[in-house]
Amino acid sequence: MISENKGNKKARYGMSIDVDRCTGCGGCMVACASENNVAPANPGANDRKGLTWIRVFKVDNGQEYPNKRSVFVPMMCQQCGEETPCYLACPQQAVDVDPSTGIVGQMPERCLGCRYCMAACPYHARYFNWWDPVWPAGMEKTMNPDVAPRMRGVVEKCNFCHGRWHAARQKAAASGNRVLDPADYVPACVEACPTGAIRFGDLSDASTEVARNSKTPDSFRMLEKLGTEPKIYYMSKRQWVKEIAEAPKLTPQKEPARG
Amino acid sequence: MLPWNYGFHFTTGPIIFMGIFYTVLVIVATTVISAVLRSRRAMREHHTEHIRWHSEFDDLTTPARLCRYALTGEMPGRICPNGFDCRHCDVRAHLVAKLPEAQPAEAVVVVAGMAFPTDRLYHRGHTWVKQEADGTVTVGVDEVAKLILGAPDKIDLPHVGRQLRLNGVAWSVSKGRTTARVLAPLDGKVVAHGGPADNWRLRIRPTDADMSHLLTANEIRPWVTREIQRLHVALAAVGVQTEPGQQHRPDIAANHPDADLDAVCAHMFLHR
Amino acid sequence: MDKDFIARGMQRCSTGKFLLWLFPWVALLIFGVYSAALCLIKGLNQTNMDNRFAFGAWIFLDLTVIALGAGAFFTGFLLYILKMKELKAVINSAVVIGFVCYSGAVVVLAVDVGQPLRAWFTFWYPNVHSMLTEVTFCISCYLMVLLIEYIPIVLKNRKLREIPSMLVFEHELHKLIYVLAAVGTFLSFFHQGSLGGLYGVLRGRPFAFREHLGIWPSTFFLFILSAAAVGPSFILLTTWLVEKISRKKLVPPEALRLLGRVSGMLLSVYVLLKCVDTLIWMNRTSMVRGFVPAQYYAFEPFGEWVLFAELVLFGIVPAAILLVPKLREKTGWLVSAAAMACCGVALNRFVQTIQTMALPTLSFDKFLMYTPSWQEIGAFLMVVAYGVLVYSFSFRYFELFPQERQLRIESAAAKPQHETAVGGR
Repeated sequence: MISENKGNKKARYGMSIDVDRCTGCGGCMVACASENNVAPANPGANDRKGLTWIRVFKVDNGQEYPNKRSVFVPMMCQQCGEETPCYLACPQQAVDVDPSTGIVGQMPERCLGCRYCMAACPYHARYFNWWDPVWPAGMEKTMNPDVAPRMRGVVEKCNFCHGRWHAARQKAAASGNRVLDPADYVPACVEACPTGAIRFGDLSDASTEVARNSKTPDSFRMLEKLGTEPKIYYMSKRQWVKEIAEAPKLTPQKEPARG
Repeated sequence: MLPWNYGFHFTTGPIIFMGIFYTVLVIVATTVISAVLRSRRAMREHHTEHIRWHSEFDDLTTPARLCRYALTGEMPGRICPNGFDCRHCDVRAHLVAKLPEAQPAEAVVVVAGMAFPTDRLYHRGHTWVKQEADGTVTVGVDEVAKLILGAPDKIDLPHVGRQLRLNGVAWSVSKGRTTARVLAPLDGKVVAHGGPADNWRLRIRPTDADMSHLLTANEIRPWVTREIQRLHVALAAVGVQTEPGQQHRPDIAANHPDADLDAVCAHMFLHR
Repeated sequence: MDKDFIARGMQRCSTGKFLLWLFPWVALLIFGVYSAALCLIKGLNQTNMDNRFAFGAWIFLDLTVIALGAGAFFTGFLLYILKMKELKAVINSAVVIGFVCYSGAVVVLAVDVGQPLRAWFTFWYPNVHSMLTEVTFCISCYLMVLLIEYIPIVLKNRKLREIPSMLVFEHELHKLIYVLAAVGTFLSFFHQGSLGGLYGVLRGRPFAFREHLGIWPSTFFLFILSAAAVGPSFILLTTWLVEKISRKKLVPPEALRLLGRVSGMLLSVYVLLKCVDTLIWMNRTSMVRGFVPAQYYAFEPFGEWVLFAELVLFGIVPAAILLVPKLREKTGWLVSAAAMACCGVALNRFVQTIQTMALPTLSFDKFLMYTPSWQEIGAFLMVVAYGVLVYSFSFRYFELFPQERQLRIESAAAKPQHETAVGGR
């Protein structure tokens, strides 16, 4: 349900990811999966059929040794703010954009599994449940009670740890506050990142670190020219890294298409 | 879908979208319901035979639907638009006024060895109607029908008192594996019917005295000539053929027991 | 005896021969149902689709089948609204083909979605901004219209019409058929269009995204045009095929030529507009978003030849053949051109679906390909077999070609009279 934060200042949650600080450890991926009850991969899954709301890509500058340089780019739902492609694609309102937080939400309970949203997403940040989720015996005890597991045949994606947002709101409400304490709402990947590369906060509040980061000349957004206004800001001091946010380059393909 | 469902907003988009959807549903439902209501009314008003004839008439081949004035050569190639009901045909009214009917020259018209007495009127479905002194009419089948079916094995005559409708099915005739439906040449009530001795003739009290839709003496020869051509073609289509210039021997059904004469009968007796 | 159900004056093969013809298709249907059941019971992991290739062979084939099935609405439109009487000879066949195509596509879609039992959500909670909502509403409504249009064809069966209520209902429904033809045309326009819009609105996929006219992208209009152009071609092709398989003359040649002419005219308009659209897309739409169009064709096997084949080989060439009266007169040219037009539309749907999915949008992502699994192919073959079976039954027991009887009589009249008499075949 869309929360009606009437009378409150509207938030616009976003992230800044300093790829120069990312070591590619994958801690964010693990933290995300355990926070959001993403089941262990089915034995039949591969990198194209697996489920991971956040995926760390290794990107290099395309040059040979000794000039070869690499960065790690964590990719998750970019929380598009304008003409949100998946929101406009979904035929039955299983995707919504919460006006009070700017978070693009996915309601797996209402999802038909048509995957049109996946076709619409330029960031390939949406994942389909190709198998029934199965936890090995005993492991179900480690599941997060605040997040509902998803069934086979529906689409899911990063929602900035919606369960934590709910918990923070409840805590605020219990103490009589209408506005939640930013310290109470931190997504799992932000919390897990050992180098502090990922920062999270309200972009509409100029005092937050993300808002400041988003305005630095080092920050850039993925495929900005598509006009989808993503709320994930990447940062790097290196020019070639900034260029990975652009459309694919006109280079003949070196390796054959993977089948 | 409904205003109280989750996610419904009273904005232009949903209102136009759902409005079009409901309009389409209403149009389709109205069409089907009105078809049901109209068919119930048609059934109640006993229009079944009328509807059967008109629906089948449209499916007849072009030569079978030629106007009577196309047969006689006055309006070559004209297809009858009225299902052979000339009683309200403007073209016929116009032509009758222009060319007064000539007196029949002969008492019996003989075409291809078959005799057609001119003291009676002929229906395109190969029946004839003869006026009787008591105001009733006698109805029987003509020589072309006999050429095809010979002496029938079984005849289902309408019971006395039944109302026949023009071009509706009057009775059916079976011969071997073939069944032909014979069309009623006029509207009327069956008052009596004969047996094998008098060729199964019917006595009918007409409910409409206007018989202008039936063929008269001068139209017999062109009509029968055409019908024989049609018969030859229909027989050829099911593989029954004669030597050039030869005629079929009477009782074709008995002579060609293996042929698919159902199709030929449908063709000649104007049904499907 | 099934002979009693076959219309008088129609020649149909013996029951045994008919069963023999059905056998391979029934076998294929069983295999297809097994494949589809696997996908439904075990889940879509049975397919080779994945998170990147969210749409695969099924969507491509559905779009193609629906475009080809457009012959039903467009022939109905030409016959009942524009009063092209010659097309009465093919309208029944067109309705059955349309019905088969649409119902088949809906069945495949039901297997394709992850949670088919939630399909009603689209009706209950529609997102009116989604092209897929428009598609779902229009296709279900139009399938209903096709079903109603199919009823008179069934009721005209020799046995059924002996029941007076059936006969009368058929007659009364047929009198109102132009209303259904108009509604069908309206619905078809919208869903053919919104199927195109499905891709044209994908601003996240610059390969598919197109400029908008009003609320619809240009693909909306191009899909309508291409479906209307190729629908008559497909009717022409199937009619010709049925004539060959049944070894009978079913429609007068003028009807086929008219279909070819209509198809050719629309196809040439379509190809012209498609060229304009491609130029605008290459020079403006795509460039504005930072994507160099040449790059779309830098990955094998989707080179520039795809564009050439779509526009020239399967676009301009068949359109030119269909527009030249002399070539139209020759069945070989007519049928080949119709087949090429159908291929062109299939290729267009393939490019829109598969190439869009295959091309990377992120610079560090890869160009991907996929090959459908046997379950995917099987589930589609199920629909093909279903279509052939429905059509075969319809052809045997209903009058799909109302002029067949007349043509048979005419050819008998034209035959030399001295052929030896043969007993009923």
